[in-house]
Amino acid sequence: MTTRSKPQSRPAEILREYGPFPDVAQIGGVTYDGELAWAAAGTHLIAFEPVTGKSVRQLPVASDAGTAFDGRHLYQLSGASINKVDPTTGEIVSSIPAPGQGRDSGLTWAEGKLWVGQYLDRKIHCIDPKDGRILKTLESDRFVTGVTWSNGELWHATWENDESDIRHIDPETAAVLERVELPAGVGVSGLESNGAGIFFCGGGRSGKVRAVRKP
Amino acid sequence: MDSSLGAAARALSQGDPLHALKHVALRDDALALALRGIAMAQLGELSSAHALLRRAEKAFDLGESVARARCLLARAEVALARRDLNEAGRGLGAARELLAARGDHENALLAALLEVRRSTLLGNVEAAQAALSSLSFDGAPARLLTLAALASADLAMKRLDGVAARTALDAAGQAATESRIPQLLAEVERLATRLRSPAARLVRAGRESALFIHELLPYRNPRELVVDACRREVRWRQQAVSLVRRPVLLELAVALTERASHEATRAELVERVFGVRRINDSHRVRLRVEVGRLRHVLLGLAEVRATKLGYLLVPVASQEVSLLLPPTDGQASALLALLHGGETWATSSLADALGKSQRAVQRALGDLEREGVVQAVGKGRARRWVAAVAPTSSVALLLVPPGTL
Repeated sequence: MTTRSKPQSRPAEILREYGPFPDVAQIGGVTYDGELAWAAAGTHLIAFEPVTGKSVRQLPVASDAGTAFDGRHLYQLSGASINKVDPTTGEIVSSIPAPGQGRDSGLTWAEGKLWVGQYLDRKIHCIDPKDGRILKTLESDRFVTGVTWSNGELWHATWENDESDIRHIDPETAAVLERVELPAGVGVSGLESNGAGIFFCGGGRSGKVRAVRKP
Repeated sequence: MDSSLGAAARALSQGDPLHALKHVALRDDALALALRGIAMAQLGELSSAHALLRRAEKAFDLGESVARARCLLARAEVALARRDLNEAGRGLGAARELLAARGDHENALLAALLEVRRSTLLGNVEAAQAALSSLSFDGAPARLLTLAALASADLAMKRLDGVAARTALDAAGQAATESRIPQLLAEVERLATRLRSPAARLVRAGRESALFIHELLPYRNPRELVVDACRREVRWRQQAVSLVRRPVLLELAVALTERASHEATRAELVERVFGVRRINDSHRVRLRVEVGRLRHVLLGLAEVRATKLGYLLVPVASQEVSLLLPPTDGQASALLALLHGGETWATSSLADALGKSQRAVQRALGDLEREGVVQAVGKGRARRWVAAVAPTSSVALLLVPPGTL
């Protein structure tokens, strides 16, 4: 199930940049809980208000790659595990093995399942959140970073050879349906839709989170 | 960019290289190799670190030029710590240009600082100073400001400019505190200790006093004869006679100039130089031979005259002689005085210079190594000793907070 050549490619419209935030050198995963945007910042998770840009919360949770939210709990990739985190206390309530055993990148929650990007292997897995069992695998032709669902559409980011884009793919065939290309020197490390036409994009080493218009 | 790489980078930034290795030890993709290399550098395994970083550099795709350039910086840093100055220079200028062109100004600045350090280690002190002064640090992070200030202090100390060294160290201390990186704070403290400790003992006209680094400048091109037992040479004005390979002659010169009279008896000299208490005729003959050699090397600087009691040193163009001794007695002090010159030394060369056995020197070096004051680079017959420079502080910094990613 590999992607074919891509139709409909357009340049990314970067609406806003958040950060860099104090003491944050790098952003991995990004997610949205309806009010706050959360970003994985290595030694902790930070949360900021998308409207004001103010950083309002911090959880001392090891945050190495993708972040997701299921309506109640945060999910955070750390090492070879996906940790389920209580956002009010920062406590890790449970943990499952990550399908890529540490080669995992993006993370998102949709309809009772977790979707996990596997960076160097250019894959996306759909897994059972209870035990981490792989239910389905999609393949890409680029290193996969962020993953998100938005209004029934599956989107993921790629970042390879200093080039980065955000792709809408068919969740059955993995065919690429549309592409949003980031400008040179800008990469997407984490991805989350706010459900209202905006992608929050982790900016990797820039330490920023960018709001990109969803086409 | 994936969870294990992130976890390894996080562990490295927290100064936990073993933990970092746990996450990436078995991986051979470029980023993992780079992080493994940095972990090994943090563990002090510079040889392995260098090999891993070279592999990482080659493993990057052609299109990943920025990541490769950053990786090259780490390799250059490790090469500098190993005193492999050729290797350190390889590709460094090009990497700096590429990083600047692609907007990674932080790492471009780090590349420039590595070039300054390389120049300093090559002994091109003026070129290093000029390069350092030409750099702009606007908006630079605290850790790079610290490295720059440390480089400035180091160069000032080599110029024996105590005031400039103090100023630079104060700046380094402030920046190190802001950076909150323990290795940087330790390095600042190490240099500060060196600056406020006596650099030498001065013996002149029979009186002894402590000299600090900022007081040494007049003794570089002195108007009076100077016997320098730290650098192991005899100097007057622009002339300098090296006695690094002639420990016996240096010992004679020291013995003669320790006293205000500049004279010593044959018995004293034989005991000092040959280590025996009861002197016989063969000792006297050997002493005469060595004195003859000393006369020969000091031609134009001083005469060594035979007297009724022994021998007398007479400077050619001054009344007094200044004797500079290492700050404390003992081999450790003498070894350090040599190593502070900045070059690399094999154990055998150090033993020759000090006129001691290799075993004894090896023991003393072992102690100094444990104290973190000297370090060994290379192995086996290629092993060399250098005065310790915080080798891994910036290696730890280079790729970890910014990431290779």
